[in-house]
Amino acid sequence: MVFIMKSLTVIREFLDSRLGIGPEKVLPEALLADLGVDSLTLVELMFEFEDRFNVTLGKDFAGPTTVGDLASLMDRLRGEQG
Amino acid sequence: MGKCRVAVTGLGLVSPYGGDLADFFLRLLNGESAIRFLQTNDIPVPLAVPFVSCPEFDADAVLGRALAGTMDRFAQLGTSAAFGAWQDAGFSRGSSEESREDWGVSWGTAMGGTFAVEKAYRELWQKGRERISPMSVVLAMGNAASAHISIQLGLGGISTNHSVACASAAIAIGEAFRRVRSGETPVMLTGGSEAPQSYGVVRAWESLRVVAGGDENSSSCACRPFNADRSGLVLGEGGSALVLEDWDHAVARGARIHCEMVGYGTSCDHSHIVRPEMGGQVRALKAALVDASLATDEIDYINAHGTATIEGDPIEIAALRSVFGERAARLPVSATKSMHGHQLGAAGAIEAIVTILALREKAIPPTANLENIDPACKGVGHVTTGRHNQRLTSALSNSFAFGGSNAVLAFRAVA
Repeated sequence: MVFIMKSLTVIREFLDSRLGIGPEKVLPEALLADLGVDSLTLVELMFEFEDRFNVTLGKDFAGPTTVGDLASLMDRLRGEQG
Repeated sequence: MGKCRVAVTGLGLVSPYGGDLADFFLRLLNGESAIRFLQTNDIPVPLAVPFVSCPEFDADAVLGRALAGTMDRFAQLGTSAAFGAWQDAGFSRGSSEESREDWGVSWGTAMGGTFAVEKAYRELWQKGRERISPMSVVLAMGNAASAHISIQLGLGGISTNHSVACASAAIAIGEAFRRVRSGETPVMLTGGSEAPQSYGVVRAWESLRVVAGGDENSSSCACRPFNADRSGLVLGEGGSALVLEDWDHAVARGARIHCEMVGYGTSCDHSHIVRPEMGGQVRALKAALVDASLATDEIDYINAHGTATIEGDPIEIAALRSVFGERAARLPVSATKSMHGHQLGAAGAIEAIVTILALREKAIPPTANLENIDPACKGVGHVTTGRHNQRLTSALSNSFAFGGSNAVLAFRAVA
């Protein structure tokens, strides 16, 4: 749960600075596509996440569709590698 | 296809003076230099050069943060200028009753997304990273501005970028002109943008020994085209856009017409990669006059390429003397780069707009800082202070590039 909160914070900070999306809209059930996150933006975000937490994302990770999916993916990586 | 008349129905600017066309032209008429002393925090050695920036430009405010974040600076400047021209032409950015599937974009930039390239190299070589931003390619690619403009305006025809050094935008405008005149499409959005203030680009230009020096006190007067003590060009950023439209199409929708574009001439010196050649410039000037069906005594103003380099300025004047003969001495000529700087690949677009506004406002902006004309640059009617209430019917804009590529655009005032 602690991880979820930190991962969600990273996602919110990124989407605010990169796309100007207020944190109140970045809820676990929100669809990434609805927030304007396309494939390139998702890779940008994942690279930011890798840098911040010193973990490595595999090349063939399954594309998350919701903010919650993404946060869970981040949590799993940090649990495995952090 | 027959020849269609081509109207200029939209103009848009992101300039060092802001985006207001009337204010932009008034400042040039007053001889107001936008050149400032640029000092950076670059490592290992900060830049300290005269430069022309667009300090009021806020990409997030014009484009929105999400879109601005997908663009390097040159594409932000270009897309913003295109939005301005589109609005000026009276077109909406939303859906349209008329199909725009064959309307196109012809853009010019010489350097492209240099900030993205530089950032990537810093990551790789300074920080030892193996991976760079996934946005690097789309930020840096030369056609980024034209692509974003087509996407944002919903234009389904050709979307192309011309990278022809300092003639990029002039050639982009000329090629757009040909497409409209041929009847291939009724509307082309055209122009150019450049943001050459990244560290490596400035250093590269400095090493060519064609960049004027200066400090906090002298920078505003650093660019002195045709002057005996000129020392080189001053780099600048900006974006300028024009809407070229089939005349009948423009009239049918009741559009305001700034002027008519009537000719375009091109040539290559085919002699040297940087040293200009009079013969090539003469051929481009003559080609533009023939294309426009204009005689030399019908030209009332020339916006010169006039970069203030030691070698380039006299050759351009020699070319003008050769083409215009005895009339040359009375032919009003000015180099407005002395005030708005040299925008490299975008220069032809901002200077096309200056030329169009001169025709529209019946006024000629000066070459700033022209106090002591180099004897090698004499023989034309140098304009040293702004002239109002002029008889202006037809005018040319010159762009002569490294590589020997030359382009001349011809415009005629609306009767």
